[in-house]
Amino acid sequence: MCLGIPGRIVAMRDDAGMQTGMVDFGGVRRDVCLEYVAGDVAVGDYVVVHVGFAITKVDEAEAQRTFDVLREMSRLDELEWMAEVADRAESVRAPSSAPGGAP
Amino acid sequence: MKYLSEYRDPEVARALIGRIRQAATREWTLMEVCGGQTHTIVRQGLDELLEGAVEMIHGPGCPVCVTPLEQIDKALILAARPGVIFTSFGDMLRVPGSDCDLQQVRARGGNVRVVYSPLDALALARRNPDKEVVFFAVGFETTAPANAMAVWRAAELGVTNFSVLVSHVTVPPAITAIMEAPDNRVQGFLAAGHVCAVMGWTEYEPIAARYEVPIVVTGFEPTDILEGMLMAVRQLEQGRHEVENQYVRSVRREGTVPARARVEAVFELANRKWRGIGEIPMSGLRLREEFAAFDAERKFGLGDIAVDEPAECHAGEVLTGHLKPPRCPAFGTLCTPEHPLGALMVSAEGACAAYYHNARHRPGAEVAAS
Repeated sequence: MCLGIPGRIVAMRDDAGMQTGMVDFGGVRRDVCLEYVAGDVAVGDYVVVHVGFAITKVDEAEAQRTFDVLREMSRLDELEWMAEVADRAESVRAPSSAPGGAP
Repeated sequence: MKYLSEYRDPEVARALIGRIRQAATREWTLMEVCGGQTHTIVRQGLDELLEGAVEMIHGPGCPVCVTPLEQIDKALILAARPGVIFTSFGDMLRVPGSDCDLQQVRARGGNVRVVYSPLDALALARRNPDKEVVFFAVGFETTAPANAMAVWRAAELGVTNFSVLVSHVTVPPAITAIMEAPDNRVQGFLAAGHVCAVMGWTEYEPIAARYEVPIVVTGFEPTDILEGMLMAVRQLEQGRHEVENQYVRSVRREGTVPARARVEAVFELANRKWRGIGEIPMSGLRLREEFAAFDAERKFGLGDIAVDEPAECHAGEVLTGHLKPPRCPAFGTLCTPEHPLGALMVSAEGACAAYYHNARHRPGAEVAAS
């Protein structure tokens, strides 16, 4: 029950005085109570849903930013790793320059 | 963005693991509070990948697991009662009570129904005015807004055949209890992202300051959890103890204000017993006096009842981080998902089930690794 799932709001309506929305979870659609986030969301927004209730809006700009930072970090690691491999290749090619390499 | 697959990127995860290993000059002990996070950690083997840098202790954040046996037994009594439709989230059905579970009560003719949302239970009450519909209102701060709304709407609509059996608990007092335990080993916490999505993180600031313990509000996907661990490890290495937010896309400092307001309107703080742990002061919620008409315990006159936990179940030690599931003598033998001794083997969020379902249940495996 405690697993919140992000989904995209595809439609909003007033259901007997309660803000309700149709939310798409990767193809599966469900009615969700939007009462707690109503002032904050529009069709197309992502919300985190727990037991039929949207409990928070997913901030798209913030999500993109965090994701970009993480991707950049893994790309940097890859570059570092490539540089390290290149260094190692260099030292193999020039063994005399390696410390302790000379007889 | 779909907000799921992006956070499962193996390249990013690998880079984060490298960063954590780089940052840690020694092994640090962290606790993830939420059972959803426990499952991600165990399923992806994050704990094994970080051996020597981070030890994860699995916290008590599984509502199914900590619902006290007394409340389960009361649910069983109500479910067996003629004229009652007993409604519950699906994961409570197989939680063992003193002598059976809700599924067995249903098999014997009890009217037990699974609902997705507490509003479904309220709708059922409106469609069945000649029946008493009881909803099992369990959970942490994530389900409290939904359960509060069901009660609020029932009052608003004048529905008199709807009531709730409340067993709500809250996270901050549990963190305090863990820090107060004389044999505590936890040095930093990953706070449950969705609990904080509702409540914000202001309640955690005095805890971080008082116990000098870093608390990182963390999401649920593998790279969320790894980033949360990295933030906690960096704090520990630098001697800081702050509340930081990893789960920026979904959590704001003040939480979701309308949800908090509704929870406060319907519920008030109360002492609560946690299964396997015992009573923690002011660690739960009960209905406010003005909603007493919706309190199933009062409506059906359920007083205090005596309960009996099986002695072979070590759930309390697992919940407080003193025992890893595979080291429990009953694990995988006396206690399996088919025949659970305790709730931790039942729930999708229970630590014992997490180890069992991820084939980390060979009794020798964990011992050999540690």
